[in-house]
Amino acid sequence: MFDKEYSFRGSHAEKVIKLTAVFDKNKNKLFNRNLDVYLIAPIVGFLYNRKADLDRSGESTKIFPEQLMNERNNLLFTYRLIILLDKEHEPDFEERINKAFRYYGSEKTASDEELYEVYVRGGVDVLYEKLLASIASEEDYLKNLYDFLEEFDERYNQTITTDSILALCRLARS
Amino acid sequence: MLLKELRLKNFRQFTGEQSVSFSTDSDKNVTVIMGENGSGKTTLAQAFTWCLYGDTDFEDKSVLCKAMVQAMPPNANETVRVELTLVHNGIEYTAIREQKYTKDGTGVLKRPGQTVFSIAYKAKDGQRVFVKDTETEFRMKEILPRELSRYFFFDGERIDKMSKEIRRGKSTEFAQAVRNLLGLSAFTSTLDHLKSKTGRMSVIKSYESSYDVSSNSKIAEYTAKINDYTDKIAKIDARLEEMENEELVAKDKCAELSKRIHDNVDSEKLAQERERLKRKLQGLIQQRASNGAAMIRKLNSTGPAYFSKKLMKDALQKLSEADKLDKGIPDIHARTIEHLIKRGHCICGAEIAIGNDAYKHLNEVLDFIPPQSIGSLIGQFIRDCELKSKSGESLFEDVSNDYGIVREFDNSYAEVEKDLKMVESRLQGMERVGELQKELQRYEGALRRLQTERDTLNMQKGSYTTSRDRCGTERNELTLKDDNNRKIEVYKAYAEYMYDTLSALYAEQEGATRDEQEKVVNEIFKQIYNGGFSLKIDEKYNIQVIVNDFEGYTDDVETSTAQSISIIFAFIAGVIKMARKSKNPDNEMLVSEPYPLVMDAPLSSFDKRRIKTVCESLPEVAEQVIIFIKDTDGEIAEEYMSSKVGARYLFSKKNEFETELTER
Repeated sequence: MFDKEYSFRGSHAEKVIKLTAVFDKNKNKLFNRNLDVYLIAPIVGFLYNRKADLDRSGESTKIFPEQLMNERNNLLFTYRLIILLDKEHEPDFEERINKAFRYYGSEKTASDEELYEVYVRGGVDVLYEKLLASIASEEDYLKNLYDFLEEFDERYNQTITTDSILALCRLARS
Repeated sequence: MLLKELRLKNFRQFTGEQSVSFSTDSDKNVTVIMGENGSGKTTLAQAFTWCLYGDTDFEDKSVLCKAMVQAMPPNANETVRVELTLVHNGIEYTAIREQKYTKDGTGVLKRPGQTVFSIAYKAKDGQRVFVKDTETEFRMKEILPRELSRYFFFDGERIDKMSKEIRRGKSTEFAQAVRNLLGLSAFTSTLDHLKSKTGRMSVIKSYESSYDVSSNSKIAEYTAKINDYTDKIAKIDARLEEMENEELVAKDKCAELSKRIHDNVDSEKLAQERERLKRKLQGLIQQRASNGAAMIRKLNSTGPAYFSKKLMKDALQKLSEADKLDKGIPDIHARTIEHLIKRGHCICGAEIAIGNDAYKHLNEVLDFIPPQSIGSLIGQFIRDCELKSKSGESLFEDVSNDYGIVREFDNSYAEVEKDLKMVESRLQGMERVGELQKELQRYEGALRRLQTERDTLNMQKGSYTTSRDRCGTERNELTLKDDNNRKIEVYKAYAEYMYDTLSALYAEQEGATRDEQEKVVNEIFKQIYNGGFSLKIDEKYNIQVIVNDFEGYTDDVETSTAQSISIIFAFIAGVIKMARKSKNPDNEMLVSEPYPLVMDAPLSSFDKRRIKTVCESLPEVAEQVIIFIKDTDGEIAEEYMSSKVGARYLFSKKNEFETELTER
């Protein structure tokens, strides 16, 4: 995983193209590259519990292997987070640990990798809905972005401090 | 000159042939022509000017009726004609002006040809005789010179310009025309005949050129020199007069510019303010752009870490509960275990055989030590969590700040834009002081140059005059030696004596006339406009307004519109009254002709009381009064002049292009 060329397809490709398009006269884009969507989408998809099947119709847009290789560590980190936490996919935590750390790279992970992609596509749908679906004027791009981040903050991040994460890190190590 | 009838054919909104007969009754001498706005009052007033001088004040110089233009088929032609019948010096004249308009094959109106002007008069036997083409202009000048016509065909709407003209900077032609009007023309032509100021051969000049030069060639030499000096002096005089006008224009300009500069001093400050606000707007736009870009930059760089926070927390919690990390044995590798199994006994000495307990334990340990151990992978994972939690820490806070500024932009922008608009609207209509200043300097420079030129010319004139007089004295000495020349000298002396005597008489007469006129004008002015002003007429017939109340203040003063219009009324009425007086043959040298007063919208600037005084006094002073007036003023005017009105007409407007004249 994360070493071959990746393609968004169909409706998701269309949405990714829009999410990476210039939207104002200052040449701003919400996401610089397809890769930047790919880095965030699975997290959003998982947290919003949105899954989406592959749409094989029409458009496609790519991420090149070398771009993926450069971000491999970050991508793998996200992959592990999701596999570790998706109880629906695998109820046994021991096994989720194995899937996340031990089996990674072997043929045992085919369904896990598929799960990850399902969340990527679900996340693209969420990002599109939150950021682009209700655009009426140029000002709305930044407004939607802010509103989305605010919503996300209230929903998940407000109570999580960096210190609490660092404390958990210490705890996990001990 | 009295006006009898005006006949129009297709002249602007007057379609077809229409005519107005003016009252020439000496008692009921007023003709009132009334109409609403836009019905053609000004057009009718302009018809006089067009007929007599071939020009109008309209921007559109085409005088052909617009309705007619529309109705004309291609290749057709139409003629515009205005005929004015008038009585001058006891002779009935008809001035006729025509202009032919033709449409081309596509139905477009071609540029009209020149107007054709002719004057006919009724001979003693009642026959109509046309004045020769070559003489029409001359005859027109005799009847009413153009310079003066504006004061008899009088447009209330252009009063300001006229009042300025009447008060200063008029040409000598104007003064001459006024003199003629006041009956001084016999004087001036006699004087001109005796000694011409222009190059014309006059009595004195003819004597000078008839000296017998055979006795002494010096006489011819002196004569030539004297003529040369005289020419030079005349040129200088002409230039000096020209300069006087230039100077007046430049002075007017300077005054006007100074006023405009004064009115616009604020414009420079405002312009600076405008630049500052524009820069501020630009700054705001840039700030907004950079904050927007920063939001996006942060999303792209630390977004993944930020969004993962919740997942990291959950995962770490799970991992710490599972205790997966600690099951490995420090510094033990799978190779160590394999070695122990191979050698068959443990470090503690226990036997290791395939299948026994020790063997099973050791194989379990393999799961938790490298390379099979996932503990180190988890350890690395936890390390990643540490780093990422720090990097994604401030995303929302930063984005909030940036977005706050972006949102603030709309308010600040609207505010600055409002200020800018205010400054711009104040600046609108203001002029750039810098440019005005430059223009002012240009005119002031011109004034200084004129002053220098005047000084030089006066010096030259002085030296030419001295030289000429010296030549004259020298020539006199020589001519007296010869009998023939002596005779001529005597004749010339007579002629010069006559000239001097008449000049003095003329000066006295003119002065008296002017004083008289000043008195008359002031009487009328006081009737129309009673205030602390009086008028003064100088030798060029310029009028000055003098404030009576302030002792010692003798300068010309600015006047209001009502004052200006009163001055013009007074002046014109004064001239007309004087002209009527001089008809009275006490002095045969003074002959003149009465003139009509044709006024377009003259009363709009006055209040009711002044309308009354104007209405009462004008029919008294002018022999004929023709008033074009809008309905509201007209009713008042008619009320005050009712006993004087001899003819009434009404404009009835058919549409924007057509008006009919009807007798009431």
